[in-house]
Amino acid sequence: MNTKISRRQFMQGCSAAIAAMAGARLTNVAFAAQDSPNDTLVVVFLRGGWDALNVVPPLAGDDRGFYEKARPGLKIPDNALLPLNDQFGLHPALDPLYDLYQQGHLGIVHAVGLNFDTRSHFDAMEYIELGTPGSKATTSGWITRHLQSAPGGTSGLLPVIAAPSQPTALLGATATVSMSSVGDFTQWDNGLLAEQQVALRRLYNGDTLLHQVGLRTLDAVQAVAPVAETEYRPSNGARYEEDELGTQLKTVAQMIKMDAGLKVATVDFGGWDMHEYESWSVNDGWMPNQLRSLGSNLANFYLDLDSGYTDRLSVVVISEFGRRLAQNDSQGTDHGHGSVMLALGGAVNGGQVYGAWPGLHNDQLYDHADLAVTTDYRQVLGELLVNRLGNPNVGEVFPGFEAGGLGVFAK
Amino acid sequence: MTQISRRDFIRLTGLTAAASALAACAPDQPPSVSPAAPQATYAPAEPILPVPPENLPDLSIIALNRLAFGPRPGDLEAFQSLGATDEERLAAYVEQQLNPDSIDDSEWEARLASLDFETLNKSLEDLFREHIVENPYDDNDDRHWQWFVLPADETAEVTFLKAIYSRRQLQELLADFWHNHFNVYGWHEDATPLFASYDRDVIRAHLFGNFRQFLEAVASHPSMLYYLDNRSNSDAGPNENFARELFELHTLGAESYLGVRDQAAVEKDASGVAVGYVDNDVYEAARCFTGWRVDDDTGEWEDDVGMSGRFLYYKPWHDRFNKLILGQYLPADQEDMQDARDVLDLLAAHPGTARHIARKLVRRFVSDDAPESLVQAAADAFLAHKDSPDQLRQVYRVILLSPEFRQTWGGKIKRPFEFAAAMFRALNADFARVPDGIRWTYTMMGQGLFEHHPPDGYPDEAAAWANSMAMLYGWNLTVGVVENWWNEDEEGRRAVIDLRAQTPPESRTAASLTDFWIARLLGRALPEDSRQAIIKVMAGDYAPDAELSDDDINWRLSSAVALVLMTPEFRMR
Repeated sequence: MNTKISRRQFMQGCSAAIAAMAGARLTNVAFAAQDSPNDTLVVVFLRGGWDALNVVPPLAGDDRGFYEKARPGLKIPDNALLPLNDQFGLHPALDPLYDLYQQGHLGIVHAVGLNFDTRSHFDAMEYIELGTPGSKATTSGWITRHLQSAPGGTSGLLPVIAAPSQPTALLGATATVSMSSVGDFTQWDNGLLAEQQVALRRLYNGDTLLHQVGLRTLDAVQAVAPVAETEYRPSNGARYEEDELGTQLKTVAQMIKMDAGLKVATVDFGGWDMHEYESWSVNDGWMPNQLRSLGSNLANFYLDLDSGYTDRLSVVVISEFGRRLAQNDSQGTDHGHGSVMLALGGAVNGGQVYGAWPGLHNDQLYDHADLAVTTDYRQVLGELLVNRLGNPNVGEVFPGFEAGGLGVFAK
Repeated sequence: MTQISRRDFIRLTGLTAAASALAACAPDQPPSVSPAAPQATYAPAEPILPVPPENLPDLSIIALNRLAFGPRPGDLEAFQSLGATDEERLAAYVEQQLNPDSIDDSEWEARLASLDFETLNKSLEDLFREHIVENPYDDNDDRHWQWFVLPADETAEVTFLKAIYSRRQLQELLADFWHNHFNVYGWHEDATPLFASYDRDVIRAHLFGNFRQFLEAVASHPSMLYYLDNRSNSDAGPNENFARELFELHTLGAESYLGVRDQAAVEKDASGVAVGYVDNDVYEAARCFTGWRVDDDTGEWEDDVGMSGRFLYYKPWHDRFNKLILGQYLPADQEDMQDARDVLDLLAAHPGTARHIARKLVRRFVSDDAPESLVQAAADAFLAHKDSPDQLRQVYRVILLSPEFRQTWGGKIKRPFEFAAAMFRALNADFARVPDGIRWTYTMMGQGLFEHHPPDGYPDEAAAWANSMAMLYGWNLTVGVVENWWNEDEEGRRAVIDLRAQTPPESRTAASLTDFWIARLLGRALPEDSRQAIIKVMAGDYAPDAELSDDDINWRLSSAVALVLMTPEFRMR
């Protein structure tokens, strides 16, 4: 506690030094003591529509038969699946997450998604991220409205980061700083950087989005500078994969550990649109490789933050839709409907598969083709808002929607 | 790279005390900032809107920033000499640019000839054979990969240089537009070497031409066939990937997508064509395109399939039965390729396609918030000229000569590609081959050329590009460029900027140097406080109107020039 106070005083002195050099205070930021009781939200968006039916396939019963018949070249053998319960198994490439499932930190929601008639990537992503299915006229993302409507508003030195770029869910969120990695988030110095920064604050003194982004960038560069110059050592021996997702999650972990008030981080993981050659075998090929990256990086992210941060961490993994039950002749799957969401965190009631299972009989499928949606994705996020993010105003975040109780996130 | 160290900076600027205070702020292990948390809230920002009419810059500025990648020295003056009135000047400029062959581009051609690109003139067949089938290097040799990606790398590099040097600027902007519209990820694992042909034989060959012909050239080029998987689309289990994006991205657009419902329930126009499309139209179109593949029998087991890398219509894979597309019945057993050609005919002539293309073009060339009147006028021209060989040229003319084009400024920001090219043009940079450092730094802004993986192309709205990575790496690129950090690398790649040589020798005060470079780079004034902020950096400890020594000028001019390029005003279009 003692060190914390002295560090705080130290840093206040520093911000004064930066401000003196800069000739201006850090924009929009005033320093004052505050400890948020709420979780940091991390949203991992899998772009392209992941094949949920191969992530969490049925393990037994009639549905197992429908599944195997529809996917002669792509089915995961039942003896290769990691059993989640009597009904479902987990793709073996997600093995690192299986431990977290068994420890109760990972929950799975099946047959979840956007309850709106579209099989377009771009429509589906936009509706999900705007939080207004059926309307694209919305001018802010769902996370933006959460930040605006949460009691106390948005504050903090670096409340929102997007890795690597700002998604639609953060449309209109001026607090957002996009960042590909901490180490790269530095402003280059030709010897006159400090004077240039003073000038830049004057050049960007304005109200438009462009001006505001300029000022936010300057703030963030100065805030991150001490961390950017040192090599990051993850806690507990965690090892991120040397890929984009690993870099991004590592960045988020670093920002969380900066204790600079990170409230939301978004991470994009693309490459899930597998119309062709989804996998060569259970453990080799496109889909297994993607899943291995996802599982390993998430598990290591959790391990890294299991150093005092997981109690206030909620991670959600979402994709715009799942894929068709029946495979095509290119050893791939086309766009479908119902999907799977993952919830990871210290307060997740894990070790369970949530959601009403609609079944895979032809009459039970959406449009006689895809897994149906029985749980609206907003139900998961709505519960998260109320139980973990301290925001009871679900109706402002998702207009016209009332969140029910799934029980994935503990209060 | 000759970056000046912090120690040098302290010594040179005499700011020792302040810098030490900052240095002391670097925390000891572990690095954890702070604080204490702030109470401020983040107010929503004002949107980026066009300036009011009374604040419009000179038309030459609008034209050179929206019909070109920004002015090079002399361009604004050349524009002024094209006529007696704004209308005359713009009309003359637009006509020149709409007829690129009429423009003398010998300066660029001479530069290009000196750069020793190896692959850009190879035919599709040669690219396929030399870089895929007969790659001379062993799989495990790094050179195998380098040889495989060389045509795509060279295409990206030459595109960057053409944006800077070619005088056929509208052609370059349109190539960028259509590359994004018919997006192909350049380094797709199966098709990378063919990208040089896609750029030359499809995108550049058709961008002033007829949309229907353009569409078929795209649909039948191996780059697209690989990228959206139609190469494996067969009647045994159709692959919908290409068909869906053909409707949603290439032609009708998402605004004509009516979702998952019965085709029979969709309203028809006077000629019996459905006003929009549903999922079933996508499935039926996928069936129409079965058998459109690539002649690439890599396993050497298929009858009637060779290894040329060309487009192949493969009848054994084609679904011969009848189909229903946009309310139109296609009978079974049509002649070869006719089913898909009927789909392309229907889509290319559809009013929804005309509006979709028109809106995207207006958004590209005028404003993010495309004026509806102009969208309609452009869509009308699209349909009126749908059978003419220069249909698209007619559409561009309507947009570029419109009052909306002349009377709109600032409703867009430069995307990274436009920003970078505009900077190099304004600085009159002298490039050999593009240094890797420039490519890397530019790519960090988020718009690596042909590196967009999803099929929708890079976004074209300010909100998508007003982000901290684009901001920060735009600044970093600027500093690196004005400091000549990339003036030579091992392979002789370089970009050189000589600021002093471009500065009038009589300019020796901070104010006059700043004013010269503001006028030179922006062609217009900055807000007074911005001007003062830059003068202060140029002046250092001296007064704005004090004569500076050569040492002072050499030390500070690059920073002042960089700041002009770092302004929000430089990012406006």
